[in-house]
This record gives sequence, structure tokens and C-alpha cells, in this order.
Amino acid sequence: MMLGRYVVQRLVAAALTLLGALVLLFVVIKLVPGDLITIMFGPRATPALRADYAARMGTDQPVWVQLWMFLRRAVTGDLGTDVISHRPIGTMLAEALPNTLQLAGMGLLLAVGFGLLLGVVAALRPGTRLDTILGVASVAFITTPSFVVSIFLLLIFAIALNWFPVTGAGDPASLVDRVLHLVLPSVALAIGWIGYLARLVRAALLEVMAEAHVRMLRAYGVPERRIVGRYALRLALIPMIAVMGIGVGDMISNAVFVEIIFSRPGIGSLIYNAIEDRNFPVVQAGILFTVVVYVMANLAVEVVNALLDPRIARSLQEGV
Amino acid sequence: MPHINTLNRRTLLQMISAAASLPLIAMAPRVAFAATGQVVIRIAQDITSMDPPNRTGTIEDNVLQACCQTLARFNPNTLDYSPDAAKVITQVSDTEITFELNPGQMFSGGYGEMTAEDVKFSFERFLPAADGTKVAYADDWKALDHVEVTGTYTGRILLKNPAPALWLIGICDGSGTILSKKATEALGEKLATTVIGSGPYMMTNWTPNESITLTANPDYKGADAPAFTEILLKPITEFRTALLAFEAGEIAFCEIDPTAKPEVEKIKGAVMLQKDSIDYTWIGLNTAKAPLDNIKLRQAIRLGVDMDMIIQGAYAGTVGRAKTLLAPGLLGHWDAAPVYARDVAQATALVAEAGAAGATLTFTCLNDSISQATAAIVQANLAEIGLTVTINALDGGAYWSMGEADKSADLEMTLITYSSKFDPGFQTQWFTGDQVGLWNWQRWSNPEFDALQIKAGSIIDPAARAPMYVRMQELLDQSASCLWVTHGAKIFVHAPTLIPALLPNGSNWQLRFFKPA
Repeated sequence: MMLGRYVVQRLVAAALTLLGALVLLFVVIKLVPGDLITIMFGPRATPALRADYAARMGTDQPVWVQLWMFLRRAVTGDLGTDVISHRPIGTMLAEALPNTLQLAGMGLLLAVGFGLLLGVVAALRPGTRLDTILGVASVAFITTPSFVVSIFLLLIFAIALNWFPVTGAGDPASLVDRVLHLVLPSVALAIGWIGYLARLVRAALLEVMAEAHVRMLRAYGVPERRIVGRYALRLALIPMIAVMGIGVGDMISNAVFVEIIFSRPGIGSLIYNAIEDRNFPVVQAGILFTVVVYVMANLAVEVVNALLDPRIARSLQEGV
Repeated sequence: MPHINTLNRRTLLQMISAAASLPLIAMAPRVAFAATGQVVIRIAQDITSMDPPNRTGTIEDNVLQACCQTLARFNPNTLDYSPDAAKVITQVSDTEITFELNPGQMFSGGYGEMTAEDVKFSFERFLPAADGTKVAYADDWKALDHVEVTGTYTGRILLKNPAPALWLIGICDGSGTILSKKATEALGEKLATTVIGSGPYMMTNWTPNESITLTANPDYKGADAPAFTEILLKPITEFRTALLAFEAGEIAFCEIDPTAKPEVEKIKGAVMLQKDSIDYTWIGLNTAKAPLDNIKLRQAIRLGVDMDMIIQGAYAGTVGRAKTLLAPGLLGHWDAAPVYARDVAQATALVAEAGAAGATLTFTCLNDSISQATAAIVQANLAEIGLTVTINALDGGAYWSMGEADKSADLEMTLITYSSKFDPGFQTQWFTGDQVGLWNWQRWSNPEFDALQIKAGSIIDPAARAPMYVRMQELLDQSASCLWVTHGAKIFVHAPTLIPALLPNGSNWQLRFFKPA
């Protein structure tokens, strides 16, 4: 019951966040100079052509009408048609979506897997040389931007060693080819989060391992591996799960750079190209999607956290 | 005694080594050419609209020219042309061209044989609609009155006035693409992303932002038989990524940034190809805005800017310096145009004469590395003659929006690059008085220049036209409104196993003539 009310409250907050983000997005887009037709056709953009395209994009309407149309479309899921290619924007997003989801999913998997592993290893050997090395490596991972990592990965693993391809998402008919095309971009995307999660897990695990109930388990003679795997790690995961909501959003926003550098088709490169072209209906739809994913991921994380730690739901109910 | 294999330490290590090397075999470097005759080519961006009257750029042009036919087409690597879809095409007078099509030219997708009706339909789509609205490329067929069909394969192109540029920018170019009337009407808006042609290749697949597949057209019976079974065009936005893809053998042909030339020269086995472009980059000075409305200040800036330093510093010496609007080789190129050498003393004196010592000017440019390097050099140069320059580097969207609604009125110094066509009238049209507020960012206008633009564009004889364009460039020079930087260069790198074909401007890639070495 308590959890149900908590979820409802979170849903309302998520809807408000979404609405705020959409309005902000609309306002920001209106402030950006430049228009699609001038960029597409340059000097060939006659006033008649410009007016025709403005009518088709709805930009000839008053701003409040445009905002209303945008919000209505966002709510109904009708994303409109791209005025240049005449393709449904929903189809364009649907084509790009699997590539971005694969990239972000694989990045997330690598980040959680390696972050957890390195964090646990460091926490189990605090103060040792290994702990120091992992600490330095983690900080290096966090501080190196993903586009720099991308370039180095390409130079080493694609050019010097020729192990992986440079561009594209691979042949849709070949799973092996798809995976090969996914390795370097997902590592580039994940590496910062591997470092961050490793530090987070180490700190949380050390804190839990120093708590009284862990000392009691040791006193009872429970093996160390069981204490860590069964009891301590579960508690230490709570802060990690809490940041994963942000992690998903970060993965998707960073995917823009990675997709451009690796020339991978995806939501990121779709939005980037659309911004360059000032193709605002496509920009709006693409960002709408990322905002929804971000808000939903945070919602899911909050619910999972509340499930893992009932105090979170209780604190909200009590207004703490 | 039977031989029994035993698993010892050595055998185990050998097995592990063999197993470990399996993925490496799977990941062996791929080559841009497969045995099937596929060639992979990088394009800088994806296609957007393939409908000829509203096509969005040169990439679309290149695909159209590979997949469709025109009445006449450019020969490989030159501006000479030969009949393509036409068996015979003749300019019978200044305002009439007759043609006869080759019979049996079939459109892909089962849309039947090309007839003169298709030619009429394709060309007349460029005419203004009844309500006056025009397609983006309407001006390419501005002189067209109508096309008269005289038989299944024959017709007459009737012009309102003589149009010397029509062959180069209309008939042989993307605007001369002949589409199937039946297919165009059936496809409707899908025409933006579908190509139904009768050329050597067919566009058989488009995966947005990933690849465009051109497959050899088995029904094509013309003279330009395709050399590859498949041409794969890969959109790679970042040229650095494209270069890495070339090094990895993923692509066989790509354009590179001129500044990367020394780096590319080190790539083993790479063949570099440089085409001196006919485009034009210049620093435009707004003649309508104080203090630049004073010609002495404009002359001072022309003498104060070290153009050779810009060529060396911003372009790494990979391009030549321009001295006038029309590039060498074009009709009307002004060979005797003056080359202004930097003269700080004279420039400083002119600044003083103009009463502009200590003036502050804004230099607007795109935010790419070459433009910003150019801006920095100009800033340093003009500081020496007593002028302060602030740099305003903009992204493409914000920069090109200056071309609408008189937004260019507040510009002062602007670095501009325009792409060119092969007829000089295309280049000179942006400097006329009616372009002020649109694309004439210098806001300089001259009645003689405008009159010559009209006159030179309506006579056929090249010998009569050339001096008119020279005179127009003299007038531009006298105005000191344009500081010519370069005509640019297009630099390409390609696999030694490929022979590309490019028109002299380097922008138009003749994919139908690409062949293995």
C-alpha cells in the first residue's frame, strides 16, 4: 500500500518533469537562429519555397499554437512527417532506436559488470597495491572523455590491430558482425561509468563491511565470501542502483558523440544531424524520446530502490 | 601398436593458442573491394531529398546521375558532353533544341520504356506553378518555355530566350534528370527517397544514416556499362572517422580535409587525388555600413590582410590563392586581375585617411578550423594597421540564416565560401543589386554590373560573353568589397585498385564512370 502510493507520487512527478522538459525544449529551439530551408537550399530558398515549408512545419503559426500542437503531438504519439524526406518521423526514430538501445544496453552491461567487479576487488583488498592501481585506473576512466577514448580505441583496435571495424552498425543479417561493430563504441561509452561505479561500490562496500551486523556474521564464523556475496553486497548496491537512473540518461546523451565518431546510425546521430540542419520536428521527436527514457529510467530506479530499502518509501510518506 | 594421443602441457598450450586465434581470423581486416565487385565510398552526409527539382545537394546529384539518364551527359573528368538518353540532340537555334531518344531505354521497377513524354514531364516540373510558387532548382530551367512532343521518341525544347548556361547547369546536370512520368505520379512524396531511373545503376537500398546501395542495372543498354556490381555509399559525417575507415580498408574513396594532406601522404598504398576547385572563398566587406562604407578603409583592409599567410596558415599551403571571382579555366576568367601584396605602411596611411584609426570591426565566419584560423590571421594583420577585429564564429545554421530577411545588414567583414557551377553567370548572380538583403552580403550594387549580368546571360556566343564577365570582375575589384582568398581544392584519397571520375569542380562525382584499376 505504502509502495503503491509512493509509485503514484513518483509517476506524477515524472509527468511534471516531462512536461517541464518539453516546454523548455520548445523554448530553446525557438531561440536557435537558422532555419531548415536556408540550410538545405541556400540561395535557392525562394520566399515562396520558404513559406511553403514553414506552413508544412507549422512554424508560420503563432508560438503558443506551435507549443500546443507540439504538446498535443507528444501526448498522442503523433510525431508528424519529415518535411524534407516525407518520411514519418516515428519511422525514422524506430529505425534508429534499436542501434541506440543496443549501444546503451551494452554500455550499461559493461559499466555495471566491470564497475561492480573492480569495486568489489578493491574493497576486499583495501590499502593494498592492487587497490591503489584500481583507484588510479578508475579515476583515469572517469576523467577521460568518451570521444577521446573512442579515438584511442579506434587507433589501437581498429587500425593497429585490425580486430574491430571502424564505422557502422554491421550487417543486420549477421549477429557476429553486429556484435563486432558494437564492441568499441560500447566500451567507449561505458568506460567512464566503469570507473565511477567501481569507486562507488568500493566505498559503499567498505562502509557496509564495517557495520556491526557484518562483524556479528564474522563472529558466527560465516565465510567471508558468503558475507560479501549474500549480505554486504546487497546493501552496497543501493547507491549504485540510485545512480543508474542518471547513468541511463548519461549513456543516451553520450551516445551522440560515440555514434558520430563511430558513424553509427542511432538516435544520437539522428538528433545531431537534425540540429545541424535545423530540422526541428525531428529534433523535438528525438529529444522527446530521450527525455521519456531518462524519466522512465529514474522512475524505475526509484521504485527498485524503494523495494530494496522500504525506508525510502516510508520517508516520503512521512514527509522526511 | 596403436598411436595414442595424450593430452600433455604442450598440446594443451597449442590448443589454447589455436582457440584464441579463431576470433582473430573472424576479425581479419576487410577490404573495400570484395570479389563480387563491390566498392565502398564515403559520403559526407546522408541523402535527404532525391526529387530532382527539390534535391538538396551534390550527393543527391551524384546518385541521380548514376541511376538516371539525361539527354546528354558530361564525359569522364571533363565538361565536354555526349548524348546519353538522346540518340541525337541538336541546338537548332538560340531558342530551340531538338532531340531523339534511343529506343528501348527501360525505367527500373517495371515502369516501362522512356519516351519523349517523360522528357517533357521531367523538364516542365521546373516551371513555376499556376500560383507562382517555384521549385528549388527552378532557375536552372528559367529560360524554358515548354517541351513539345513530336513523336514517341522525339521532341523540341523551346526556350523563351537564349540560355547559354542551359547545357551545363540544365541538360547535363541533375536538373536534366529524366524521370518516369508514371513512376513519379505513382510514388508521390515517396519520390524524395526513391529513385526510378534508367541509368547504369539502380538505387536498390537505403538504410538511413548507414548506407545507400547502388546495384548495376541489368536492363541498361547504354554506353556507360557499370564497372561494379554494387556501389555502397556510406554516410560518415566526421572526416577523421572517414580517414580511419579508409586506413582500415572499410572504404575505398573519400574526400579529405586539405589540412590532413601531409598525414594522408603517410598512409601506405593510398592514392591522393587533388582537383583545383572552381569554388570561391572571399572576405566580404559590407559597403553599406560605416566605417566600411568608406572605400579608403576597404582598400586599406585589402592591403593590410596577408592573403599568402592565410593560404599557408589556414590551408597549410594546399590551395592556390585567388585573384578574382571566376576561377582559371572558366569562361570569363580575368587573367590580368591584380594580385594585392601586403603593404602595411600604405594600408596604415589609408586607414588614417579614412579617419578609421582605432576602429573595431566584427569578422563573421563559420566555426570550422580553417575559417577560424583565417579569422585569427586577419585579426592579427589588421591590428598592425590600427584596426581591432572581433571574431564571431557561427555554426552553419546560424551563419546561413544571414541570407534571409535582410539579416546581413549588420555584418561587417564576412568570410564566405560559395560553391560553383560551370557557367560564370551562376557565380556572378550573387553580386547583383537585387541580391542585397539576400546573398549579396557586401551590399554593393552597380547598375553596369547588373546590366552585364542580364546581357551576358542571354547570348550564346562565348567570345562575346567572356569580356562582359571580365568587365564585371573589374567593377568588383574597383569596389574593394571582396578580398579573394582561394578557389579551393578538393582532395581525395582512394585505394590504388580504384579509378574514380570527377568533374573539374571535384564536387560532382561521376559514379557511373568509377571503375577498378
